[in-house]
Amino acid sequence: MSDIVLELKHVTRIFGSGDTEVRALDDVSFTINRGEFVLIVGSSGSGKSTLLNMIGLLDKPTSGTVILDGQETAKLNDGKVSTFRNKKLGFVFQFANLLPDLTVLENVMLPQQIQGGKNIRKKASDLLIKVGLEDQIKKRSNKISGGQAQRAAIARGLVNSPTIVLADEPTGNLDSVTAQKVVKLAKTMARELNQTFIIVTHDRDQFPDVDRVITIKDGHAFEGEETTMEITA
Amino acid sequence: MHYMDYRLNLATRMLVNKRGSLIGAILAVSIGILVIHVNFVIFQGIYDAIIRDMSDYRFGDVFITHEEEGTIERSDSVYRAWLERFPAVKAATPRLGGTADMEFLSMGKINEQYDIAVLGVEPVSDIQASKIHETIGDGQYVYARNSIVVGETVARDLGGCFVGVKSALRGGGSDPTVTGDQIDNDCTVRVGDSVKLIMENRLGEEVSKRFVVSGISETAGGQGFDSSVIVHIDTLRSMLERPDESNSILVRMNDRNTFVVNDLISQFSAAYKNDDLLVENIEQSAESTLKGFRSGIAMINLIGYFGMMSSAFAIVTIQMMLVNSKTREIGVMRAIGARRRDILLVFILQGMIIGAIGAGVGTGMGLAYTTYAKETNMQFQGSLALEVNYNWKKIGETALLAFGLAMLASIYPSYRATKLQPVEAMRNV
Repeated sequence: MSDIVLELKHVTRIFGSGDTEVRALDDVSFTINRGEFVLIVGSSGSGKSTLLNMIGLLDKPTSGTVILDGQETAKLNDGKVSTFRNKKLGFVFQFANLLPDLTVLENVMLPQQIQGGKNIRKKASDLLIKVGLEDQIKKRSNKISGGQAQRAAIARGLVNSPTIVLADEPTGNLDSVTAQKVVKLAKTMARELNQTFIIVTHDRDQFPDVDRVITIKDGHAFEGEETTMEITA
Repeated sequence: MHYMDYRLNLATRMLVNKRGSLIGAILAVSIGILVIHVNFVIFQGIYDAIIRDMSDYRFGDVFITHEEEGTIERSDSVYRAWLERFPAVKAATPRLGGTADMEFLSMGKINEQYDIAVLGVEPVSDIQASKIHETIGDGQYVYARNSIVVGETVARDLGGCFVGVKSALRGGGSDPTVTGDQIDNDCTVRVGDSVKLIMENRLGEEVSKRFVVSGISETAGGQGFDSSVIVHIDTLRSMLERPDESNSILVRMNDRNTFVVNDLISQFSAAYKNDDLLVENIEQSAESTLKGFRSGIAMINLIGYFGMMSSAFAIVTIQMMLVNSKTREIGVMRAIGARRRDILLVFILQGMIIGAIGAGVGTGMGLAYTTYAKETNMQFQGSLALEVNYNWKKIGETALLAFGLAMLASIYPSYRATKLQPVEAMRNV
């Protein structure tokens, strides 16, 4: 089995046309290997969320190819894309985005229920225990704190044992102490489960210890961090 | 351990957590059903009451007349003997009709003279075959050859207390009811009073006979013989020189099952196929009266169903609001792998839940109203009491229709929900 779980080839995404054309991503290419903890950084409006939508199959590139776990995703129809997202990807959003009508446990069970898996309750409960929410299982998801919701969202992202967990500004809505706990939890889970994590953030400092950093600037991606030179007179 | 399908769970929770929308949608469905139930109780109740009274007083369950002539010349006893051998027949009775001038004598002088319809009955069999005797509020039924039952309207009109209408009554062609004169209740014909019938027999000769009023007949809604008088059939035959003749034979069944009634009709028709008889069940014999009424009921039902359609539009609106308030959740579900059909199912299930609860509540309210109408013998302003029946087929159909409409109404909002792109939906955070 190849170690490459994600490959982007010359991915371009253009919004609008003519005078209003915006090139959000411009000829982006890179690969990500299994088990890597990757940070995608960039300032606001740099194109990092667009990139995450491409990787997460939530949007389609104007040109170029996204290959996820060996499958060229452009050829998949809407139903297969949904199934693919369900099986291969786990999502952690900035605002957790748990469904407020369901309990914490039901939220974590949801991806498995969509898939039609077995031992759903046990798997979801085990993950909630791992993320330290065993006493919040039966609570409605809108009755828990932001940090707890984000931990539940990580559990939901992991429950289907996806190829990649995509996290979009997972600490963006948390105070610094809670954010640190969430970062630590994500790293622990990645290590324990040999889980590939791709985290999009504008706050590089929240994630000091990562395997790789990809920087997005003006729609272009490059390996490593952008260096700034301070000139002092 | 088995869990509720997540789509059903989500549909239920979303609705429960939006109680206002849920209650609004349920009310829309249930009120639509209630309107149909109320319409049915009132208008079908009146229709059935008319059939009931027509059957009880005028036509029985089977009504036999001559196809072409006004009278049946063969003796009714021949037909009655055949009919009463049929196990499902309770009784058969002949009737003969005619018209007369009637004089009411009061204090030795003619108080009033009146054109009147006369019904001749054979009292012994008529009591078994019809319920007209039950309409005698004062006195008793035709018990002797010279006794007469006077309809309540006739009794009142003959009392002579109308001012300035005597000539109109005698001359014919004017309607006494349009004079607007007041009625004095002390001036009605009473039991024991003497009246005289003046008729023209089959030979064109004027014949008259004096009768003693034995009873006053009154029916709710005037469905009986309130505007006629009833005498013994033999007396009428004798006056008209029509021995053994009758206009009709009214048959009362022990078993009113349509199949049994139609079986009797076909057997009787076959037995007397050369007699040119017209043998009809109650729906056929009352057809001319009921035809217009049926169109009215159909129109009222149509209005009820339009009401239900507007309930469906209310559901569309409420569900569109639900979908709009749940765009983020739809986006999240799509992101974590829910297919379009899963989203479609969540919102269609909501329509089904609304439809099921609304149908249940509406049917419950409708049944409560029906029971109330039945137990209280509901009637309107002294008119005939409604014949209220639990028409389970109709009740079931209405509930199913409401459920189906609620489900159909949810299709468009559900379809709109599936059209939300995950990225677009999540942008609405």
